[in-house]
Amino acid sequence: MGERIVVDAKGMACPGPITKLVKAYRKAKSGDIIEIYATDPGFKPDLEAWIKRTGNELVEISEEGGVIKAVIKVTAK
Amino acid sequence: MTERILVLGAGPGGLVSANLLALHGYDVTVVEKSEYHLFQPGMLWIAFQGHPPEKYMRPVKDLVKPTVNLVQGKVAEVNLAERTVTLEDGRRLDYDRVIIALGAHLDYDAVPGHSSLVEEFGDYFRGADYAARFWSHFKAMSRGTLVIAAADPLYKCPPAPLKAAFLAAETLRRRGVKDSVSVVLALPFIHEYPSETVAEIVAPKLREAGVEVKTMFTVDSIDAENRVIYSLEGESITYDLAAVIPAHKGPAIRLLPEEARDDDGFIKVDKYTLQIEGYDDAYAVGDCNNAPTSKTGVTAHLGAEVVVERILGFDSRFNGRTNCPIVTDGEASFVISTYDHPPIPVKFSIFKRLLEDAFIASYWSSLRDPEKWSPIFRAYFEATDPSRVGGGW
Repeated sequence: MGERIVVDAKGMACPGPITKLVKAYRKAKSGDIIEIYATDPGFKPDLEAWIKRTGNELVEISEEGGVIKAVIKVTAK
Repeated sequence: MTERILVLGAGPGGLVSANLLALHGYDVTVVEKSEYHLFQPGMLWIAFQGHPPEKYMRPVKDLVKPTVNLVQGKVAEVNLAERTVTLEDGRRLDYDRVIIALGAHLDYDAVPGHSSLVEEFGDYFRGADYAARFWSHFKAMSRGTLVIAAADPLYKCPPAPLKAAFLAAETLRRRGVKDSVSVVLALPFIHEYPSETVAEIVAPKLREAGVEVKTMFTVDSIDAENRVIYSLEGESITYDLAAVIPAHKGPAIRLLPEEARDDDGFIKVDKYTLQIEGYDDAYAVGDCNNAPTSKTGVTAHLGAEVVVERILGFDSRFNGRTNCPIVTDGEASFVISTYDHPPIPVKFSIFKRLLEDAFIASYWSSLRDPEKWSPIFRAYFEATDPSRVGGGW
């Protein structure tokens, strides 16, 4: 089992959330789960582009009360 | 007794703070490790267009008002609870208030192979001598691939790699070798710029300049021997010459208490007052703090003005304003945003390039005599406030 890394990027405007994700991804190992929370509406398309490029797995993406939650499984490292 | 204010660092944030406070009669001491102040954007012009380094350097002593005490030394420790600053040579300084303006620490060890790369070719971040070293390689380049990349999405002056690419392409064109040298701009962002609004404006200009853009390329390691850069996202680029922006961290000092810093070592401040969390006698301005705005000379300058006004008793607030110039061959645009307003669309024009040249020409004077320039800058910043010109400029 990998580690679960929680990243809080709420209240950060573009490109804050992706910046935080890249920082977390640098430290992550294969099998880790990155759970990121963001409020920037631009985060969703950015994340999808990032997943497509890096080939990691998007396990879950949901939105509740203006907060986007994304769960990513690190598979490409 | 006159209040003793200690200003750590003589970059734009430190100099503006010190010179304004001296004007108001405070007992101000500036601690700076270097003898010279470097206009940091000048490194782009040194590295990619061969400007002489001296053009962008001035002795620190010529940039402080006569009543400012200047201490040459390197800060080792700041103890916020004890109100003391210790220098590397052991000297200890006490203060009534402290303004930390030590900038960001450039970490060339974060990415394997980076220190070999920068020692071989130089770059446009580490210092004027490294920029001159880069030029000595770039000016002789007549074929192959020039790669401009970054080790992390967070670095000083967000448009820096774009400016580097534009200036490099211009030099190659003038030398008549643009067709045999490819300029590859590899960026850690989703688009050509962190803000999509700005990316849409800058993308056609990059195409026009013949710059090849690779997005989502965050440098993970450099094989300096075989000249390959690998990205965190799983790609690689082969280079003949490369400049990689290093990872940025908070200042390399001991800061007590340790909770005053975030995970990357940046000093935690209230983003409006720039006061260090939990201390009403300590501030952090410019690149060394964690305020959610761009790390640039403009934000340091404006932040310093806010801190000085607060010390004078006014309820000033920093709005996170940026004014990052993007220069191409003969034109410029600015990345204008605040905490409350994302970057607005600002078209490239010759007029904005003249404006940027005027800002650069006023740089030294605006540090030594900020009070003379404040009304002009204020008029400019008010006229171009994103809430006023949100539709574009």
